[in-house]
Amino acid sequence: MLVRRDVDDIREIRPRAALGALIVVCCSLVLIVRLYQLQILRGEEYVNQAFANFRKSLFVPADRGLIKDRRGRTLVDNRPSFDVFMTPAFCKGKERDDVIARLKSYLLLEPEDVERIKSDYQKSWLSKDKLERFKPFMIALDIPRDQVDVLEAHKTEMSCVNLIPTPHRAYHAPVSLGHVLGYMSEVTPEELDENPSYRRGQTIGRRGIERRWERELKGEDGKQNIAVDAKGRELDKDTQEALIPEAERLVPATPGNNLILTIDERLQEAADQAFPGRAGAVVVMEAKTGYILALVSRPSFDPNKMSGRISKSELAALNSDPLKPMLFRVMNENYHPGSTFKVVTSLAGLENGIISPNSVLSCGGGYTMGNHRWRCDKPAGHGPLTLTRALEVSCDVFYYALGDKVGLDPLGEMAHRLGYGQPTGFDLGREIPGIIPETTSITPESGSARAHAINAAIGQGEVNVTPLQQAVAYAAIANGGDVLRPQIVRRIESPDGKVLREFPPEVVRKLGLKDGELEAVRAGLVAVVNEAGGTAYRSRLADVRFAGKTGTAQVMKLGQRQKLDPSMVQYYSRDHAWFASFAPAEDPEIVVVVLNEHGGWGAEAAAPAAARTIESYFRLKRDDAAGPPVATSAVVQ
Amino acid sequence: MALGTTENKLDHLHIPLILCTLIICTLGLWNLVSATRNAPTLMWLQQAKWMGVGIVAVAVLLFIDYRWLMTAAWPGYVTALGLLAGVAFAGKKVLGARRWLQFGSMQLQPSEFVKLAVIVVLARWFTRDETGARKGQYGLIDLWRPFLLIIVPVALVLKQPDLGTALVTFAIAMTMIMFAKVKWRDLIVMLAAGVGGSVLAWNRFLKPYQKQRVLTFLNPEAYAKGAGYHAIQSVIAVGSGQWGGKGWGEGTQNQLAFLPEQHTDFIFSVWAEEHGFIGGVLLIALYTFLVLAALDVAANARDKFGSFLSLGIAALFFWHAFINIGMVSGVMPVVGVPLPLFSYGGSSMLADMLGIGILLNVSLRRFMF
Repeated sequence: MLVRRDVDDIREIRPRAALGALIVVCCSLVLIVRLYQLQILRGEEYVNQAFANFRKSLFVPADRGLIKDRRGRTLVDNRPSFDVFMTPAFCKGKERDDVIARLKSYLLLEPEDVERIKSDYQKSWLSKDKLERFKPFMIALDIPRDQVDVLEAHKTEMSCVNLIPTPHRAYHAPVSLGHVLGYMSEVTPEELDENPSYRRGQTIGRRGIERRWERELKGEDGKQNIAVDAKGRELDKDTQEALIPEAERLVPATPGNNLILTIDERLQEAADQAFPGRAGAVVVMEAKTGYILALVSRPSFDPNKMSGRISKSELAALNSDPLKPMLFRVMNENYHPGSTFKVVTSLAGLENGIISPNSVLSCGGGYTMGNHRWRCDKPAGHGPLTLTRALEVSCDVFYYALGDKVGLDPLGEMAHRLGYGQPTGFDLGREIPGIIPETTSITPESGSARAHAINAAIGQGEVNVTPLQQAVAYAAIANGGDVLRPQIVRRIESPDGKVLREFPPEVVRKLGLKDGELEAVRAGLVAVVNEAGGTAYRSRLADVRFAGKTGTAQVMKLGQRQKLDPSMVQYYSRDHAWFASFAPAEDPEIVVVVLNEHGGWGAEAAAPAAARTIESYFRLKRDDAAGPPVATSAVVQ
Repeated sequence: MALGTTENKLDHLHIPLILCTLIICTLGLWNLVSATRNAPTLMWLQQAKWMGVGIVAVAVLLFIDYRWLMTAAWPGYVTALGLLAGVAFAGKKVLGARRWLQFGSMQLQPSEFVKLAVIVVLARWFTRDETGARKGQYGLIDLWRPFLLIIVPVALVLKQPDLGTALVTFAIAMTMIMFAKVKWRDLIVMLAAGVGGSVLAWNRFLKPYQKQRVLTFLNPEAYAKGAGYHAIQSVIAVGSGQWGGKGWGEGTQNQLAFLPEQHTDFIFSVWAEEHGFIGGVLLIALYTFLVLAALDVAANARDKFGSFLSLGIAALFFWHAFINIGMVSGVMPVVGVPLPLFSYGGSSMLADMLGIGILLNVSLRRFMF
């Protein structure tokens, strides 16, 4: 039976209840202080964190600028494609494993790709920057259409995965332009460190135009902020608008600028088709401006493959090919110029007063200096020759004698004036300078300066040039003495067609030769093609008179340089065939230089290709004049 | 006993307590609607039903003298233990824990009622026991029976496992013991035993996920990926509420599911996010008032049994509210404890209502002899 509490009980309970009440109030105050700290003192910080939770930033890739030929024909543009990205913050634990397993099977990922994805995922979470995990990282680039469909179908199971429509580069130009255009590939971690404006998975221009004009072509990526729930699912439109301020919803991308090249795609194709060799180069340049019309470097690579899904084995084959497809022969390889160099010796002789246009030197089939005798192609000898005739028949003895009289250094000086032995200034990446020997640079073991001069006089010995240098030198001879800077970009235009920058012709220097000297050499070059005894007489054209010089450059002894397929030994022992020309002979418009590596005789293996290229140029010119004006605004300035 | 003067008795109803309870219930329901807007079923309706059942139960309880609980204490305690044992064998497993018993379409969480049963049986023991009165003070040895009464249900709850409820049950019982006269020296011994017990519990009984939670509390940043995620997201929700909150139904942490368990354990985060500091202080004030009212009832009860019952209920509300709010605002580890009258859950709603009923009953009969 309960008894009513006595006074003692009350005396006991009341103070304790009061103490209890005090403790309760204190605890409540602690909670309130905590709320004050979180909500008032640090409230803003948490507002930002809550914002970062649901805001997902997607980038809007910028369209890369187009590359067009001189007539406005698109050589390079962008095709729609899809890249796959993943936001680490939106898949955790089991979901992560599930998503990666799905991606592996849907996208047919290699084990190494899966490893890379896992490590990228891990890195995002371990980053000190808490927002790093909200940044999407790359899973795969440029996936095929059917994979896009599969991913779309499983969108809901993989809400952390995003398909980003990304324009990818499409190269429509002939493969022979590979070196000129370059290609695209993913930025390396080192480049990312240097260039914070790039993001992981983005591509950057490699080689050629793509690399040189990266900054103009790139454009600026836009940004899209969307609101997502904890699972990464995109919210409905109304909620989006309520949560993301309008200004942050979409920052549109700025497309890159367009490049208009000096290349004529049709002539490029014609030059490539006319070129018969397995390796070599063709340079077609406007004689009075230095604008490049066609530039073949064979073998080449397909920029479409290089920019996308080239397999490891294909890449390895490309790199181990003895013909070196990645080598840009136009300006990155040295060749003896052979007889094409005789124009330099001729000008040096004239300029230094050794000969006049009418002087006669006699060829007896050989030239002797000390106990060494240099033979002529014609063992019986050419007899007495003028300069014109010497060029026409390409008599070596004439030039041995002339070179010997001119001397090594005056010869080198003339070569330098014409642009040899130094980069031409062609603005497309690294360019080698070539070699022009001087008395100070040769070693005694390699022979006396006289011997060097005699060899150099016919473009052998130490003399090394690039096909592009040949074009510059022959253009100077053709145009009356302007050494031009070869250029391949005509102008830069904004996406809406406004001209942002023009590239006018640039004269590097004037030859400054005495009257009649260039005329004398040109007369010789005309004779080469148009006189019955000329070395390139068989390549003459019916309706265009052109001029040129053949060259057959002896190659170095193979030695033990490389292990070669026996069937290739014969190929590599053959001479390089050259033909350097301009047309029309009387008022030159273009210079065409053909180098056929190991092609044999210049007259047989190079001159016909040049002739056919010249023929194509004038046919195209006639077509353009006869047909309706080319339907492209890009040509109209 | 005297039931004839009902009208007089009702004059003594603790109106402020009733009002406070009803305000909390109303706010709780309103908040729950926002917290469960994206749920497939109308959870708030379910909660409202249980609230109704609770209110009816309170009303019915008022007509029965609380002293009847002296008689019902042991049967109630045994039944509660029986249900707990039932959970251990036939309980429904959800997320790795067996906490629920299925009765047809209805689920019951016995651990919620065990707390009440422990309060009643302890109140009865302290009322009946003469040792305290005889010695003037309790020593530890004198308390072995109440300890036994506590340990058995706590151990069963811990086995489910439900660390939060076990902790709260233990805390309620200890609070009641404090209010009996216990020697200071013995309190210190108890504290030492408590620490020793925790160490033992840590090494022997805690499940990895429970250890994880404690570790997470100690260093949430290091566990940001897993267990700490809840704590961090909850603090973000609370903090981002600022002064006035984002508005009902506008809390991004809540609505976009960044808050885990937002309708049960983290219901206060929803409230604080959407109603800010002002709303948070208001709710804390309401709970403080509720506990103070319960202490007031205890201080003015007409007998020792009523006092201890009320103390137990006061402790029940205090520990639940304090641990829950402390947990979601990051001053305590994440242990799953519901916020009374606010969190979604029928069993806890009904148990809390019964607690209120007991308080009203004790208060109603404070002048009766």
